[in-house]
Amino acid sequence: MSDTQNVAEAVPPVSEREVILDVRDLAVDFTTEMGRVSGVQGVSFTLHRGETLAIVGESGSGKTTTINAVLGLLPGNGDVTSGEIFFRGTDIAGYSEKALRGIRGKHIGLVPQDPMSNLNPVMRVGDQLAEVLLAHGKATRKDVRGKVNELLARAGLPDAATRARQYPHEFSGGMRQRALIAIGLACQPELLIADEPTSALDVTVQRTILDHLGSLTRDLGTAMILVTHDLGLAAERAETVIVMNKGRIVEQGPSAQILRDPQHEYTRRLVESAPSLASDRMKPINPGALTGQITEMPVILHVRDLVKEYTVRSHTDGKRKTFTAVTGVNFDLHRGTTLAIVGESGSGKSTTARIALRLEEPTSGLVEFNGTNIAHLRGRGLKTLRKQVQPIFQDPYASLNPMASVGEILEEPLKIYRLGNRAARRERAMDLLEMVALDASIYDRFATELSGGQRQRIAIARALALEPDLIICDEPVSALDVLVQAQILELLMKLQTELGLSYLFISHDLAVVRLIADQIVVMKAGEIVERGAVVDVFTSPQHEYTRMLLDSIPHIASRGTAG
Amino acid sequence: MTRYVVSRVGRAVLAVWIAVTITFFLLRLLPGGPTTLMLDGVNDPALEAKLLADYGLDQPLITQYGLFLWQLIQGNLGTSFYSQSPVAEVLFDRMPWTLLLAGSAFLITLVVGIPLGVAAAVKRDGLPDQALRFFGMAGQAMFVPSLAVLLLAVFALKLGWFPIGGAVSSFVEGPQYVASVISHLILPLLSLVFINIGPYALTVRTNMLQVLGADYVRSARARGLSSQAVIWNHGLRNAVIPAVTLMGLQLGTLVGGAVLTETVFAYPGIGSLIYEAVGRQDFPILQGAFILLAITVVLANLLTDLVCLLLDPKLRTGNRA
Repeated sequence: MSDTQNVAEAVPPVSEREVILDVRDLAVDFTTEMGRVSGVQGVSFTLHRGETLAIVGESGSGKTTTINAVLGLLPGNGDVTSGEIFFRGTDIAGYSEKALRGIRGKHIGLVPQDPMSNLNPVMRVGDQLAEVLLAHGKATRKDVRGKVNELLARAGLPDAATRARQYPHEFSGGMRQRALIAIGLACQPELLIADEPTSALDVTVQRTILDHLGSLTRDLGTAMILVTHDLGLAAERAETVIVMNKGRIVEQGPSAQILRDPQHEYTRRLVESAPSLASDRMKPINPGALTGQITEMPVILHVRDLVKEYTVRSHTDGKRKTFTAVTGVNFDLHRGTTLAIVGESGSGKSTTARIALRLEEPTSGLVEFNGTNIAHLRGRGLKTLRKQVQPIFQDPYASLNPMASVGEILEEPLKIYRLGNRAARRERAMDLLEMVALDASIYDRFATELSGGQRQRIAIARALALEPDLIICDEPVSALDVLVQAQILELLMKLQTELGLSYLFISHDLAVVRLIADQIVVMKAGEIVERGAVVDVFTSPQHEYTRMLLDSIPHIASRGTAG
Repeated sequence: MTRYVVSRVGRAVLAVWIAVTITFFLLRLLPGGPTTLMLDGVNDPALEAKLLADYGLDQPLITQYGLFLWQLIQGNLGTSFYSQSPVAEVLFDRMPWTLLLAGSAFLITLVVGIPLGVAAAVKRDGLPDQALRFFGMAGQAMFVPSLAVLLLAVFALKLGWFPIGGAVSSFVEGPQYVASVISHLILPLLSLVFINIGPYALTVRTNMLQVLGADYVRSARARGLSSQAVIWNHGLRNAVIPAVTLMGLQLGTLVGGAVLTETVFAYPGIGSLIYEAVGRQDFPILQGAFILLAITVVLANLLTDLVCLLLDPKLRTGNRA
């Protein structure tokens, strides 16, 4: 970070440099079944050589539509209806596909959002990079191999020559994103558009990728548009921030100013609810949380020496091997409190959650729920357990049956357990809707008609239907927008206080965990590396890995003082 | 990768064995024994017993099965009840014609079907797309023999452009022989291609549409690649993998269609041989022909799997067994 500031001071002020991109009063409309719908309206901004501009907004805010318009990649039903897009002095808004081809990749590079889906799976990574160089005359058939290796190495891929001959599925997510960065910067474009470049990656990888992206663009003098939903990240990485909401720019200015002194009401709400900016557990605070009484509450979930092994077939020689997903995991979840398990993908946190739900059986170890070992529970006992332990999953778009109405979704658990008659079940469903602050009229709607936040409320209501004691939340807010995240977390807190629920909260996001958890367990490669009360772990982390996770949260404060 | 190839070959062998076994027992379950036709209504139990003994049909079924497998491994498929010539010889005479018909139908379906499917996906509601919708529906709705008869009536009987039946005229040599083979081939080929091209091109279209909507295709466009490079290198190379698998599965349909087509056009391949053998209750011929067709389909599927191995790098590095 200090790096960014030093360089920024060394070169002339941004505003005196050449203007790379000048968007004036841009409007995009979409033709839909319901007629013309406005995508973005009145969007204007200017970007100078070497400047980094962040566009921040929630899904549907128009940030992606804006960059698609600049790239000329609007979907078939979208049109630029007014405004100009001056790229190095020429209006490219009306350019033909053919004319745009000479600009894309060569003068404007793109680093797309999801590294898993943005590389062609049947083409060698090196060939995908070579293709761009050849298409824009930046290499010849003869020297393209060397250039590809050089670019991959510069993007931070070790052993580039070998990597160039591999296919995307042989790369990790972070490595794929490095390859995509190499492709985006291959022709040394004047402008690089990075569309949520790290939101699909683990936090610790995010930081190194963003650092690398920053230093590459700085060295090449490339201007960058960073599209993100994370205000903290935007402020840390960009000089200027644009905040978009419902297709319009609601606020723009220097990043420090926007964070310190947001003018627009929407921006203020964003700043307040950005989890990376908060510093305390959410209110209402659990009475026991601060006084250390948590451990005096009865233990609802008691896990000892948990081990889960899978037999896998090796990729290289086809031999069967034992893969240890979880080993030596111990923790106690106390009634009425929240225990968070934090870790990156592959840390074993989801496996632990599935064992606690008794969706899987552990290889060895003890899992006691209310004093009963549930590790290998079957039959009637399992059916009783299912009633007392309920899940909430990450993606409310996938976890709700699209063919069922909200009423059917909420009444299904009651039907399975033969609770009440038709009228009683309906009444219970109405009560549940009220508990999660949804209108009763939603009862007859289908999940597909609802927003992400509404869907997750339905998923929570469904989990509550059988009056469980323990709810296992597997990344319950990571698929949601920032403002919605805050609302869902608030709802979970309120329900915990009212119903005395216990939460086992699985997350990769330490910032979210800080808001909701009393106790925390940090997992890495299947083992617990640190545990303790949230306050302690956040203020004085003992393990190096925990410190690294904490450092990966974009911190506003450090940037805010830099101006 | 070796594991993949070995497992596919193993599965192919198993599939052939199952097909052979089913064929053997199925034919023996049919009502009316093989002697019915030979005795031609004469009621002579002694003669019948002698015939059964000659062909080994008086043995218990399981012994017959063992004997049959043993002979089959040695390439002996028995003797035709009707013509008394070895079954393998009869099949060998007829097989080239079926291979020519089904093979060229397969190739044309591929060569025309893939670009048609791609063109339909790239420009929705364009001319190729509409043509494809017509072929797709017509191909599904039409019964091969009805189409064949229609083609015969118009182009052979009425217009006289093509011969009515057979595979080649007698007493021709050299270039005339080739010309004669082609003119005999066109109508049966046309009916086969007509039926098969729609479903195949539609699959290519569907896969292509899906792939063209993929993130990596958008990314390829964002890199300023030409639309040809995007469609063929990034689009088709991905869309063609499921299409190839389908093609392998459809091969059975193609062979089945060939049997019917051959019958209508009196094309002297395996199809019309089966038709004739059914009428004559010629069990050894039927048995041999079924086994041959089963082997052909299994081999084609094996080939499909190996082609997929070339097309899909994930299979090659063995992430999926």
